[in-house]
Amino acid sequence: MNKQELLRLSWENLWRMKFRTILTIIGVVIGTASIIVMVSIGNGAQKSITDELSGAGSVTTIQVYKDIGSTGMTMMAGGKKEDEKILNDDALKDLKRIDGVVAVTPVVNLSGATVDYDREQYGVSLMGVDYNVMEDMRYNTTSGKKPGANDHNSVILGKEVLSSYTLSSTGAQAQENTVAPEDLIGQNISLVISKTNANGDEETRTEKVKVTGVLESTGGSEDYSIIADYKLVTDLNQWQTGTKVNVKKQGYSEALVTVEDSSVVNTVTAQIEDFGFTVFSMQQILESMGSVFQMLQILLGGIGGVALLVACIGIVNTMTMSIYERTKEIGIMKVIGASISDIRNMFIAESTMIGLIGGIVGIIISFILSILINLIAGLFITTGNVTISYITPGLVVFALLFSAIVGLLSGVRPAIKAANLSSLDAIRSE
Amino acid sequence: MVALLGPSGSGKSTFLNVLGGLVPPTSGEVIIKDYRISDMTENELCLFRREHLGFIFQSYNLISTMNAIENVALALTFAGVKKEIRLKRAKEALEIVGLVDRMEHKPSELSGGQQQRVSIARALVNHPEIILADEPTGNLDSKTSSDIMEMITKLNREEKQTFVIVTHDPEAAKYCTKVIHMRDGLIERWEDQR
Ligand SMILES: Nc1ncnc2c1ncn2[C@@H]1O[C@H](COP(=O)(O)OP(=O)(O)OP(=O)(O)O)[C@@H](O)[C@H]1O
Ligand SMILES: [Mg+2]
Repeated sequence: MNKQELLRLSWENLWRMKFRTILTIIGVVIGTASIIVMVSIGNGAQKSITDELSGAGSVTTIQVYKDIGSTGMTMMAGGKKEDEKILNDDALKDLKRIDGVVAVTPVVNLSGATVDYDREQYGVSLMGVDYNVMEDMRYNTTSGKKPGANDHNSVILGKEVLSSYTLSSTGAQAQENTVAPEDLIGQNISLVISKTNANGDEETRTEKVKVTGVLESTGGSEDYSIIADYKLVTDLNQWQTGTKVNVKKQGYSEALVTVEDSSVVNTVTAQIEDFGFTVFSMQQILESMGSVFQMLQILLGGIGGVALLVACIGIVNTMTMSIYERTKEIGIMKVIGASISDIRNMFIAESTMIGLIGGIVGIIISFILSILINLIAGLFITTGNVTISYITPGLVVFALLFSAIVGLLSGVRPAIKAANLSSLDAIRSE
Repeated sequence: MVALLGPSGSGKSTFLNVLGGLVPPTSGEVIIKDYRISDMTENELCLFRREHLGFIFQSYNLISTMNAIENVALALTFAGVKKEIRLKRAKEALEIVGLVDRMEHKPSELSGGQQQRVSIARALVNHPEIILADEPTGNLDSKTSSDIMEMITKLNREEKQTFVIVTHDPEAAKYCTKVIHMRDGLIERWEDQR
């Protein structure tokens, strides 16, 4: 019997017991839809978080610290620090030589600075980087431009710098941001740093700096910082703390390594760790979160899987029932020339159709549910563009194949049973 | 055209089923036209039946969800015959048994005689050399029975098809050229009626 005929015959047989077939299909629909919706929720959570974190630049940037782990260990072991690696200029040169590294800069942070602008004061933190390599770093400006190597008094603003809490002249209070950072481009602003001197008096120092650009959002701490020249921030730090850091001996506290492409992050990270430094990259976070989400998906998918297993039992049941009902007919077919494989394939085709139809309807229902979930979630979560449920094309393909395979496998045993019925016994049965 | 006659339990149906390859013989062998049926696998038997044998049963054994022409064409479906050819040949077979006007009727909408004629058409449709019939007139009144037997005789003469007919009815046996009397699983005697 040719395939087309087989499918037509199976299709007609399928709808002889409409009600039962539909009930069985509904079982598959519920199974497939619950797998898809469950996994789509895991997908959605992963997508919104990774989209948030993997903003421009941050995935190709690696943060390097003195080896925190081994410092702790050696201190416990008696304070010996002989083999502790210092993050000094020599070390930075070594880092720069690693394949795939395009820029290395020391980083110095200063928090608690304020910006005076238009008689308002804004609390900010400063992040000092080496302007000589600024051009090679993946800090992109949305407007304006990056400062050049010698623009020691120029800064770029993080996207959110002025939208955080602001200090007004009347005292600390939260207030809506009225200044877009872009408005400040090309203008001079005053950076104000204060300290308490040896006499217990408040002392302030003001630096006039020029804003050259606004940084594209990275999803990291840069968004809330003003990026300034390393020398300037170090100078301010020394003034505030009153101590001078000996870079050669003590090293920098932090360095940023920019790599050419996110694909080399892992190899570069490994090499830096071999130098004896502690490394932190957005990619690491994304990867570890990826495995968490994978677990979540497996768990949620498993719940859906149970529903599909139940559906699978339903298919076996339906097929077995219909073989009992059609025993005589199977016998007749065998006597008038149906081969064992014809009978077997006919029943397998029927159960595969149940699986496939269930899968297709399940996918349609999942899309509807997914849209509903996101709509309802949208009512509660108003900030940002949150997707709770996200159905990937891969998930659709998987669900379709899976439901068809479940149908097929469920049908195998009953079909073999039908095919092996003795034609004579079958034809005699009523 | 052969009739198998004998008391109940004498092994007429068993003999016919062994001939048709529906049950294997417990001993001995069955040879039809140089084919050693008794040694065939189930799949070989199936192919053999498709090409050489037709079956007619006492209880018609039509598929109740299919109409007359679909029932007849089904035998050709398994043989992989194309749809147009299938329907054409099924219609021809129904013409032979005189049921073209009932083509679209379901078995439940047909009388017993009509159903048996559909089942004969089904047995004819793949032009087998041998048609095995187990009490084809067993459920029919005498008038319809003789109609059916006359039709079978005509087919035997015109289409040169061999019929092996199990029957209880001596009237039906009269149409046959040979009568085999069976008793207790053995052939008691032969009779040539030509
Ligand atoms: N030659 C044989 N060898 C083995 N078993 C036999 C033989 N003949 C008859 N039998 C057995 O006898 C039983 C009755 O046989 P069968 O059904 O063929 O009889 P029948 O003539 O068709 O009877 P009825 O007229 O009632 O239909 C069966 O169970 C069959 O196994
Ligand atoms: Mg009998």
